Amino acid sequence: MKFQPFAAAAAIVVALWAVSGAAHADRLDDIKKAGVLRVATFDSNPPFGFVDPKSNQIVGLDVDYARAVAKRLNVKLEIQPTNPANRIAFLTSRKVDLVFANFTITDERKKEVDFSTPYFASGTQFLAKKGVLKSAQQLNALRIGAAKGTTNEQQVRTQFPGATIVAYDDTPFAFAALRAGNVQAITQDGPKLVALLANVPDKTNYEIPPFAISNDYEGVGVPKGETRLLNTVDDTLKGLEANGTAAKIYDQWFGPSSRAPLPRLFRIGDAQKS
Amino acid sequence: MGNWLEPKYTQLILHGFMTTLVLSVCAIVSSTALGFLLGLARHARRRAITRAAALYVLTFRNSPLLVQLLFWYFGAATLLPQAWMSWLNTPHPLAVGGLTFAWPSFEFVAGWVGLTCYATTFVGEEFRAGMQGVPRGQQQAAAALGLTPFATFRYVVLPQALRIALPPLAGQYMNIVKNSSLTMAIGLAELSYASRQVDTETFKTFQAFGAATVLYIATIAVLEAALLVVRRGGAYGRHGGAR
Amino acid sequence: MSVLEQLHEWWPTLRYLLLGSFPQGPLGGAALTVAMSIVSALLSALAGLAGGIALAMTRGALHFLLVAVIGLFRAIPVLLLIFWTFFLMPMLLHIDVPGLACVICALALIGGAYLSHSVQAGLAAVGAAQQQAALSLGMTRWQALRYVQLPQGLRIMAPSFVNQWVTLIKDTSLAYIVGVPEFTFLATQVNNRLMVYPVQIFLFVAFVYLVLCSTLQWAVGRLLRKPRRIGSKGAALAARAVVEHRAARHDAGSA
Repeated sequence: MKFQPFAAAAAIVVALWAVSGAAHADRLDDIKKAGVLRVATFDSNPPFGFVDPKSNQIVGLDVDYARAVAKRLNVKLEIQPTNPANRIAFLTSRKVDLVFANFTITDERKKEVDFSTPYFASGTQFLAKKGVLKSAQQLNALRIGAAKGTTNEQQVRTQFPGATIVAYDDTPFAFAALRAGNVQAITQDGPKLVALLANVPDKTNYEIPPFAISNDYEGVGVPKGETRLLNTVDDTLKGLEANGTAAKIYDQWFGPSSRAPLPRLFRIGDAQKS
Repeated sequence: MGNWLEPKYTQLILHGFMTTLVLSVCAIVSSTALGFLLGLARHARRRAITRAAALYVLTFRNSPLLVQLLFWYFGAATLLPQAWMSWLNTPHPLAVGGLTFAWPSFEFVAGWVGLTCYATTFVGEEFRAGMQGVPRGQQQAAAALGLTPFATFRYVVLPQALRIALPPLAGQYMNIVKNSSLTMAIGLAELSYASRQVDTETFKTFQAFGAATVLYIATIAVLEAALLVVRRGGAYGRHGGAR
Repeated sequence: MSVLEQLHEWWPTLRYLLLGSFPQGPLGGAALTVAMSIVSALLSALAGLAGGIALAMTRGALHFLLVAVIGLFRAIPVLLLIFWTFFLMPMLLHIDVPGLACVICALALIGGAYLSHSVQAGLAAVGAAQQQAALSLGMTRWQALRYVQLPQGLRIMAPSFVNQWVTLIKDTSLAYIVGVPEFTFLATQVNNRLMVYPVQIFLFVAFVYLVLCSTLQWAVGRLLRKPRRIGSKGAALAARAVVEHRAARHDAGSA
């Protein structure tokens, strides 16, 4: 009689295991059946993904692209806020279907996830207090703040082994540490730094030195092996470029009337420089 | 699951483990000292002191450690004057008794302060329970023997109180080791941070987290074993208390 | 700006912190923290009762295994267990497990492990004499447990339960690490957006948790102060057993 509850629990686990092994349909079908596309986007990285203070909803460039994909699939969009470190975890543990979070394409990551055609290009840059950072060579002697799980962190570590890297959960934390003086510079994609600076109340104290230490391309993170879903995303992105929506989305967040204007140097489908 | 991590990553994890150990030891020492004082304060004669102590316990015990750490690192840091911050962040070699210590990073200091403040409340409560657990008769007997209040405390009450408090105290030390994992949120490169970093770069989730889990459990096991040794043989023996 | 105007300006942020993006989105913020705490508390109480009873009733190899498993859950940091449930549960169950469920599961497991020890200690504190008396009245071991030992033991265990639940409320803040939009997560989001008010925001967060935990302690304290007639059902069963036993002996003809 003592073992009845244990036996029952064991039976349930075994039954779940047996049943679940059978159902392994395509992710695209799952999405269409559920009627919901779950997407991971940033929540603290304007203008890619951030919380709009008036509506308290997550908006941004990545969110607009995600919405376009959801519209094409004719399903609802559900957003999971994430920081850079949790992106891949959400994808590989099946908690989201796509990652629209300024996800840099690297060969290492390609082993775990599939990437769509790139929809954004940037380079790793730095932000520091005015007058502190003038050339890349200085980096070896500095304490540099980064966001956990970003390619920026890895690139700085590889290229500047003398630098002390302190990794935080997301870029705004690194910036808070910069402001407090715990680190002397922070590293992120150039466009993100520009947008971050535009939102800082005392922006005149900081600057972004004009050098970059890499050339990166960002794409949509797709679970490995889901070719139909990947093709849908690629088609959507290319379609957006063809009918001008991509340019409109870019203009809304990076255009001349936005808070952080940046010229558009990369279009979806452009050749990539290595 | 396959193969093990490359040596570069194993080194990262071991380095994180060292940081965890150093942080834990520092926090254990400081929280024991402060907790002892707090336990005394809870029993003080003056109402103002007991009230202040009770307020300290209330605030630091009923808020999450994570929030406290975020406050110390991101909040309190902005309150300190700029000059202090620059001084704290420049490495000053500490030479004590022939050994040179590396200057702790601000992340370490904030983590240490946060952990200590939090753990002091619990350690203080254990000391207090220990002192309350010593029967009143002991104090009265000591007074009858002509011992001063201080001597009573030092030779009669304290040893017995420590013996009562020792197992729960060891439990709190284990909690300190486990709670040190939260300092990853303020950028301190301890064990959980290192295992997360290795997981992000190598995608070998099981190996990375498995190594960290084993190391934490081993540390806790060592503490448990130390407790057993101290209780069975060590300082307190079977006689303890007043002679 | 008058107080009313300031409140009006801060109201959307405050509402966001307390409720999340509900109803346009999932429940979040302090409301989610409370919901998570309640669910985890109930699950950990169940797990703790089951574990404690199992610890008290088993012997030998099974007992040893139980002690080892419970010891494992007490030795692992909550953060690491959350990482494990986050990655392992979908893999083990082959279904999509939302992050919230993973965190609740991790908290329930750890809470259950600690409570198992409290339950076992509480049962031991009731005393073997109670169990022996119940058995001698004709109750089975399970009836003795259910009607005599547990009701008395629960009163002794109550402070441990409250302490564990307070710890649970605080541990829900760790869900921040895996992206669950509870109170701490939303507060750091707001802090990232505003950038210049970290002290105020984190003090506010600590204050809200303080209120939550203190309310729980106060509420349980008040509940326990009322005299509870817990032993009534057990007493009735015992009385009936005595009467039936006497009647049986009478019928059988005492020697």
